[in-house]
Amino acid sequence: MSRRGLIAWLLAGAAWAQDARQIVEEAQRRSRADSERYEGTLEVIDARGRKNLKRWIYLRVGSHGNSKAVIRFTEPPEVRGVALLIINHPERASDQWMWTPATQRERRIAIQDRSTRFFGTDFSFEDLEERDVNQYDYRMIGEDEVEGALCWKIESRPRKTRASQYTHSLLWIRKENYTFARIENYVGRELVRRAHYREVQNVQGIWTPRLIEMHDIRRNSRTLLRLEKLQYNVPLKESEFTLQALRRGS
Amino acid sequence: MGRAAWALFAAATLGAQDFGQRGFLELRMTGFPQTAPNDRARGVAAALLRYEATYRRGSWRLAGGVDARTDTHHESERRWNLSLLDRERQRPSFALRRASIAYERPGLTIEAGKQFIRWGKTDILNPTDRFAPRDFLAVVDNDFLAVTAARLAVGAQRNTVELVFAPRFTPSRIPLPNQRWAPLPPGATGIELRERPPHWPGGAQFGARWNHVGAGWEGSLSLYEGYNHLPLFRTYPAGTQAPLRLEIRRFYPRLRMYGADAAWPAGPITLKAEAGWMRSRTAEADEYLLYVVQCERQAGDWSLVAGYAGQKLTRRGAGPGFNPERGLAQAFLGRAGYTIDSNRNVAVETAVRRNGNGLWTKFEYSQAFGRHWRATTAFTLIRGSPDDFLGQYRRNSHFLLALRYSF
Repeated sequence: MSRRGLIAWLLAGAAWAQDARQIVEEAQRRSRADSERYEGTLEVIDARGRKNLKRWIYLRVGSHGNSKAVIRFTEPPEVRGVALLIINHPERASDQWMWTPATQRERRIAIQDRSTRFFGTDFSFEDLEERDVNQYDYRMIGEDEVEGALCWKIESRPRKTRASQYTHSLLWIRKENYTFARIENYVGRELVRRAHYREVQNVQGIWTPRLIEMHDIRRNSRTLLRLEKLQYNVPLKESEFTLQALRRGS
Repeated sequence: MGRAAWALFAAATLGAQDFGQRGFLELRMTGFPQTAPNDRARGVAAALLRYEATYRRGSWRLAGGVDARTDTHHESERRWNLSLLDRERQRPSFALRRASIAYERPGLTIEAGKQFIRWGKTDILNPTDRFAPRDFLAVVDNDFLAVTAARLAVGAQRNTVELVFAPRFTPSRIPLPNQRWAPLPPGATGIELRERPPHWPGGAQFGARWNHVGAGWEGSLSLYEGYNHLPLFRTYPAGTQAPLRLEIRRFYPRLRMYGADAAWPAGPITLKAEAGWMRSRTAEADEYLLYVVQCERQAGDWSLVAGYAGQKLTRRGAGPGFNPERGLAQAFLGRAGYTIDSNRNVAVETAVRRNGNGLWTKFEYSQAFGRHWRATTAFTLIRGSPDDFLGQYRRNSHFLLALRYSF
């Protein structure tokens, strides 16, 4: 390759990388809300097709990089009251605690334990964390179509400060509205989890997928998370996102 | 002024309201392959109905719960009374499990009434968990009892201080003397045991705990001043002619505990440690340091815990007693759990004495059916020498089948 050709190739590569980051930043900017509340219905379908229904209430305050979230199970009855507190940080992985009413104790979820499935669903603890744009490096792969929607296909790799079970992820972002269409998470070259984001609706000015399908490739099981009664910018107090609040929520 | 007071009252009472409830009905059948010298029964069936509810209004929260139970082995009372304080010798047929009122503001919680207070970070054994008496009627399958106390918690996240005042003592419920979980010591076979009414402590209990949450780690310091919820015994010979009789009386020694616990990630595992130094003004009570060091790891569908519980005796009091906490000391502890799928789990728990004189291992399989039902089957193996805390129950290995309907 000639020198001019090499420079052109490097510049093009840098421009694509910049484009990839800008696209993810724009996707994050468009989904920004000061708070969020929804009631989630989870249908877990195992490899043999058996179904299991769970429900939770999700509350979030703050936005990307500095948000706090609480997930509290409401169904089935035997896990009612089990709750997870997630405190996201801009510079590192989140802090997580799980509260179990039966033992009346909270337990910190260590970073190295985040690959564990979250209460029988196909989401791992890490999948419930926020993906802040600044914790990853991006590379544009190209364009692709997902379920009829034209998408950018972008590779993301966690930065050193961001502990992750995944070595890299592939993101598909819809060109039409900058919402995620699909995320594939890899460990080395192995695809371990695939998330599909469907039924995109405009909720209070924010395009939001109302159905998330998480597929655990190794187990061949799927969890369908449907977001019901979704509201953005609801009045929530920061004080409801603490360990004390987690305990008294039971 | 009247209008302002009314506005304040309205704001407090017309705030967010929330009612929550849960409970279950559980049927348990336990089978013992071997009989015990003081208990010929090979099977026990038991039923427990538990109902808990919470109601919130503004900054106030009410929490209540009741238990109703019966069984085939007289572990539960046959009287139809409602127990408020959990001091009965047998399990009460109806018990107030929890009844408390709490006032909650950001960074402040005040709760008064019958409530659960849990301290400590390790699993299987918690030396600092002093406000957590248990029902030890079947020693290895135990359940926590609530305490009557007032609790003040200040702080929300990084630093929390908890102050506890318990005016009335709640003891652990110990095995019944005529049943297999209260074996006579070696050489005492043929002696008839009778219990005198216990001597209840008259004083209150106090506790303070400071918890700090750091980046990736957390730790606590705690202090407890009161009484041990596990009893010592005073013995009184009654008669010299056969059959020999011995009368025993439970009493609860003074206890001051200095405690600490911590958890921090170390590479692929999380290290947890917890220690309590137990001091006592009661002459018959031992003074000792009880500690647990454990590592844990969760990966994929596995959950693994392995550790060691030890003790260092600093003063011998020589009073006989019942102390399952120390019974698990000088032992290696472990737990492994595997989630087969969203409905099924298997787990194995074990405690093995360092000197090999005692072993307790429990294998458990659990499966949910639909939204409400769960079946659990377990086998508990107990082995060891008669003079060991675990080994004394060597004839109590058992099968368990439990069916629970949650609502």
